[in-house]
Amino acid sequence: MVTPLDSLTLVYQRRSGITHIVAEPAPEILAAMGADALTADEVAQRLAAQFDFDSAQAADIIAARLNELADLGLVERCYA
Amino acid sequence: MHEFRVQVGPAAFRIGSQWKRPLDQLAELYRDYPVPQIPDYSVRLESVSLLRRFIRPSVAINGDYMLPDAAPLPLEQGLLAAEMAMNLQMALGWRRHVLLHASAVEKDGKALIMTGQSGSGKSTLAALLGHRGWRFMGDEFVLVDLESGDAVPFPRLISLKNEAIGAMLATALDGRFGPLMPSTPKGDIRHLVPPSDAIAHMARPARPALLLFPSFGFDAAVREVGPSEVFMRLTQASTNYVALGEKGFSTLTRFVQTVPARAIDYRDGIEAEALVNQLWAECA
Amino acid sequence: MDDDTKSPNPLNSPTSRRRALMLGAATASAIVSVRPALAQSAASVMNCEIPVPGPHGTGMNIDSYGKLVPRDTPGSFPATGQKFTGEQVKAALRGRSLPGTSYDQSQAYVNYIRRLQSGQSGFTCYASLQMSR
Repeated sequence: MVTPLDSLTLVYQRRSGITHIVAEPAPEILAAMGADALTADEVAQRLAAQFDFDSAQAADIIAARLNELADLGLVERCYA
Repeated sequence: MHEFRVQVGPAAFRIGSQWKRPLDQLAELYRDYPVPQIPDYSVRLESVSLLRRFIRPSVAINGDYMLPDAAPLPLEQGLLAAEMAMNLQMALGWRRHVLLHASAVEKDGKALIMTGQSGSGKSTLAALLGHRGWRFMGDEFVLVDLESGDAVPFPRLISLKNEAIGAMLATALDGRFGPLMPSTPKGDIRHLVPPSDAIAHMARPARPALLLFPSFGFDAAVREVGPSEVFMRLTQASTNYVALGEKGFSTLTRFVQTVPARAIDYRDGIEAEALVNQLWAECA
Repeated sequence: MDDDTKSPNPLNSPTSRRRALMLGAATASAIVSVRPALAQSAASVMNCEIPVPGPHGTGMNIDSYGKLVPRDTPGSFPATGQKFTGEQVKAALRGRSLPGTSYDQSQAYVNYIRRLQSGQSGFTCYASLQMSR
């Protein structure tokens, strides 16, 4: 269950019963991914189509956020 | 073993004690409240040791729900121990509503909810407004219905601390007060029985219409508080949010999206009441 | 409270003007999990920054209580809007000085941050630090 509020997004994770308070850019990453399996670079590309940001370190930063989301079970790691 | 039972809002308590005096005090203050048949919670006021039952008697709280390492209180503060015990049962065990550390008063079927840390003034404000045209709903906990989102009354004895005691003695001229308990862990404490309409209507809920974060001791000011911040603060103010799972989530998110919130600073009750009336007219 | 900046570029057509996205730093967390109120939280600090002072205090100094005061107030500390991360402020709340500041200056800055109110830049960041303790 995802509820966006004014500056943060609330995510209720049914499996664990935990509520996560999520700040930019995590909700945007989740939305850009949808149900697809992507690398950090691919996520960065999708985000670049919608948003303005400094792309120099984007892939590293997005990778870090994906790790964080994976550790919490909000995204799944896939091994190709 | 002596026993006392009382119904407060939707919760029924049974309090057992080896000493009669604190229960007599409770029974006198709660004399207009309903007496339940079946308790939700049982609480026992026990002596720390057999010897301490008679010499400098000391009260330990035991109940269905307990916090370890809670320090016992002297017997003169047994009334306080009983109230704290009831708070603890609610805070740890209640699952039928979202529990918020907050006070509330009602007007025209709508609830004004006030939340904040100790010393913010939420209890005193509720006590004050409850004697000035509003119906008192509670000063310690606000219960939010999981289906309807309504605020449900929980009008226990009002717990007044330090300066608030004098302020309410001057305001509630017909009020019934409990004994003064000086120098408790929370300062001087005196209980005040809620006004009769609060007790008579303790089963009547109200739709939350305004949420306030009061701060006592600053120049009068008003600030809007956005939903994200309200959500974070309310999860801190709720002892059972996590345990309620998905229902807690949907109830609280709906609350923060529909109830306007303001932070108010004030120096005294007169300023507070003026700010409350102004915001109620604007937002509720 | 929205920290996004819009950068209108006349070379972009209106349909391709995009909102700025704050990526933050790789090491700064973007998620706080709600923990039971009576338990300790181990969640890391949000991806956010607190400027000292915020835009509402531009051109003012900060006194040791954290209040904004005129530039020439004796005993007050200059402040240039320097931004501190949530993690730096969290460490400062525990006693370490904010980077680049003396002990007294850091105390003044921390008091300023403690007084932040909703609507002021950095408040949501500070509020989320409270959550994660």
